[in-house]
Amino acid sequence: MSQIVSFVTSSIGRKLVMAITGLLMIGFLVTHMSANLLVIFDPEGYNAYSHALISNPLIYIAEFGLIALFVGHFVSGFAVTLRNRRARPIAYGENNGAGHTSRKTLASTSMIISGLVMLVFVPLHILSFKFGTWYEAAGDPHVRDLHRLVMEEFQSPLFVMWYLGALTFLAAHAWHGFGSAFESMGVSHRTWIRGSGQALTAILWVGFCAVPVYVYFIAGGGS
Amino acid sequence: MSENQSYTIRVWRQDDAQAAGKFVDYDVKDVSPDASFLEMLDLVNEDLTRDGGEPIAFDYDCREGICGSCGCVIDGVAHGPLPGTTTCQLYMRNFPPGATITVEPWRASAFPVIKDLVVDRSSMDRIIMAGGYISVSAGSAPDANNIPVPKPEADLAFEAAECIGCGACVAACKNASASLFTGAKIEHLARLPQGQAERARRAQRMVETAEAEGFGACSNEGECEAVCPKEIPTRVIQRMNRDYIRAYLKMI
Repeated sequence: MSQIVSFVTSSIGRKLVMAITGLLMIGFLVTHMSANLLVIFDPEGYNAYSHALISNPLIYIAEFGLIALFVGHFVSGFAVTLRNRRARPIAYGENNGAGHTSRKTLASTSMIISGLVMLVFVPLHILSFKFGTWYEAAGDPHVRDLHRLVMEEFQSPLFVMWYLGALTFLAAHAWHGFGSAFESMGVSHRTWIRGSGQALTAILWVGFCAVPVYVYFIAGGGS
Repeated sequence: MSENQSYTIRVWRQDDAQAAGKFVDYDVKDVSPDASFLEMLDLVNEDLTRDGGEPIAFDYDCREGICGSCGCVIDGVAHGPLPGTTTCQLYMRNFPPGATITVEPWRASAFPVIKDLVVDRSSMDRIIMAGGYISVSAGSAPDANNIPVPKPEADLAFEAAECIGCGACVAACKNASASLFTGAKIEHLARLPQGQAERARRAQRMVETAEAEGFGACSNEGECEAVCPKEIPTRVIQRMNRDYIRAYLKMI
């Protein structure tokens, strides 16, 4: 037991926890983004899909798992960041990227900032939608008309801008996080791993942004 | 033959580990383009000494790029703007004439400043003392090829063994992580048959000593590899992660 604690609290152990939880959350985001596209292409299918999810008792286990991933990722990340800050108490007078083979990007240097944005965004997002207004679907009063809620929420230009901004932070986080996760797990750096992570991140960003943009500019008469 | 040039250098001056340091500007004239960065600092120190000032303290030994003693952050990059070089192998022709050049020590809580640009890197020695060796005395050097090692493996071991322990990887890392150094010291033994018996324990002890010394964690940005004078690849870090994780898996 003490060995598990000393592993999980070691810097490599914490990075392994972040790698595994992070990749699993990216996996969740792929299903989340794909289902979101039903808002655009099949409103009834979207309601049916969300009904199938929340009417299955296993949803509680899945929700608990997702919360555990989120909390575990954050706690490990925060602890690692604190220790990293302590490791360099005095900043350089001048600090430039080395270029050459370095993979340092704006995204990689701002992981704690994009992570903290997610810490604010995700609970608010769940409040807005999961715990938002419960409309009954026209056809079946037992089915929630989540589509209507989505259409209503994204009428506000400020709400749309906040979502597009937060999604950009999310994409920046995954842009570095995907490739970094494999390296933390001990997989040798490969350009194609980094590249496929960045391609997946770009797809996620476009897919997630599509819904608020579609609702506000095309479907919703937001004018 | 290029003409000699003048520069302004902005150097970090600090009396000892406790003192608060500050940047001080010095003008240096008549610098040959073929002078190394350290020779340029020598010129500044000659002027300072002649004027009764305190010369700038900086570390050096071989001045041929193989000992790992010298090193400072030059214009915000460890060992300066050229890849694959130590500070002593950086020449003044690489700086535009008249440039103002900022010179700072490695900055990490595990590298306390002794004076000016000299830092105490004994924390890295303690990482090696935690396991960067073969415990059993194996006698004098064996005959060549006595222990067969495939050439590709020998090359990978040698690539890691090129680490001269200068500390640029720590200086360049935003987390002041010693992962590239520790990884290299683990990897050059992990590639060879002699290193196998203690492999798991070595990774565990060296990584945990690095943490105890106050070095940060690896963010996989690869700044270390980009400034390393021996261009040691971050692959040694990923291999270290694997060995460290495996060491704990073995205990279960």
